[in-house]
Amino acid sequence: MALDLQMPILVVDDYKTMIRIIRNLLKQLGFTDIDDAADGTEAYEKMKQRRYGLVISDWNMEPMTGYELLKQVRQDAALCKTPFIMVTAESKTENVIAAKKAGVNNYIVKPFNAQTLKGKIEAVFAD
Amino acid sequence: MTKIDIQQLIDFLEESREKSSEVTLTHVMGLAEVMTGSMGEIIEHVEPEVTMELAEIGAEIARMKAEISKLRVADMRDNHIPEAGRELDAIVSSTEEATHTIMAAAEAIMAADPDDTQAYQNTVNDQVMEIFQACAFQDITGQRISKVVGTLNTIDERVSNFVERLRLKQEAHADQNAEETEDERRKRELILHGPQHAGEGVSQDEIDALLNDVKQDEIDKLFA
Repeated sequence: MALDLQMPILVVDDYKTMIRIIRNLLKQLGFTDIDDAADGTEAYEKMKQRRYGLVISDWNMEPMTGYELLKQVRQDAALCKTPFIMVTAESKTENVIAAKKAGVNNYIVKPFNAQTLKGKIEAVFAD
Repeated sequence: MTKIDIQQLIDFLEESREKSSEVTLTHVMGLAEVMTGSMGEIIEHVEPEVTMELAEIGAEIARMKAEISKLRVADMRDNHIPEAGRELDAIVSSTEEATHTIMAAAEAIMAADPDDTQAYQNTVNDQVMEIFQACAFQDITGQRISKVVGTLNTIDERVSNFVERLRLKQEAHADQNAEETEDERRKRELILHGPQHAGEGVSQDEIDALLNDVKQDEIDKLFA
């Protein structure tokens, strides 16, 4: 299935630099509609306002983590189908399993490159 | 206890109260020292063994005070730790600045028009020079990190010596029974470990395998 490069993507990270990196990588991959949020709370509010085609979120943020955001999104009937990729430095097995159990679509460990990001986005939409 | 002894105690307590409203270990040790001296004179006439015990307690207290002074707590609190904090702030600031410069250069190259060959080449050359210059942060950051490591080693050495001399090692396991703080509880519940060292976490390939191969039922069993 061809990727919809016009779909709105929400990037969630408390580090502006990381948002900028992911934004640029997504732009390089051809995506044009990229929005961002600094933590889970802001992201959830934005998700209630607008339907995103994909959420790419960090795990470790304050006050609401990406893990909490994922669980909240999956419990919300209106948002539960939103594809969700976790991009994080949390690389313990228990994190991956917890994210999978919470309903994550894919999991990228930092640091990563454009190819990995592209591959995981493609994998999410191929499912 | 004589009137002089009692007066010594009153003086000590009043002096301590004037200095600070909080009771510190130094206050308690000082009080114990005064009490030991006062009691010693009384018991000396009654029971020589108890006098010796008191003298030993007094000597132990004096030794503890000497060890505490060797810790140079004020030096750590007023100099070493704030200086390490300033170095770490400077590291965050310089890496942030360098990252911004490098990313701005990369974005300028991405935005440049490759059809205008000469202008494109000039842009690439200029921006690559910017990137090289920005990378100089690594040298300074390395030196700052060495200073912070030095501070940590100093503190570690002093505290370790203190613990060893005061024979506190056997109480080390008491840490395991310490009550969990709010921050620790949050980290445990939200599985916040932070970045792992090389070789300690799982790799992207292992994550992919976990996501692809592990069935939901098997995951559920782990949490059952």
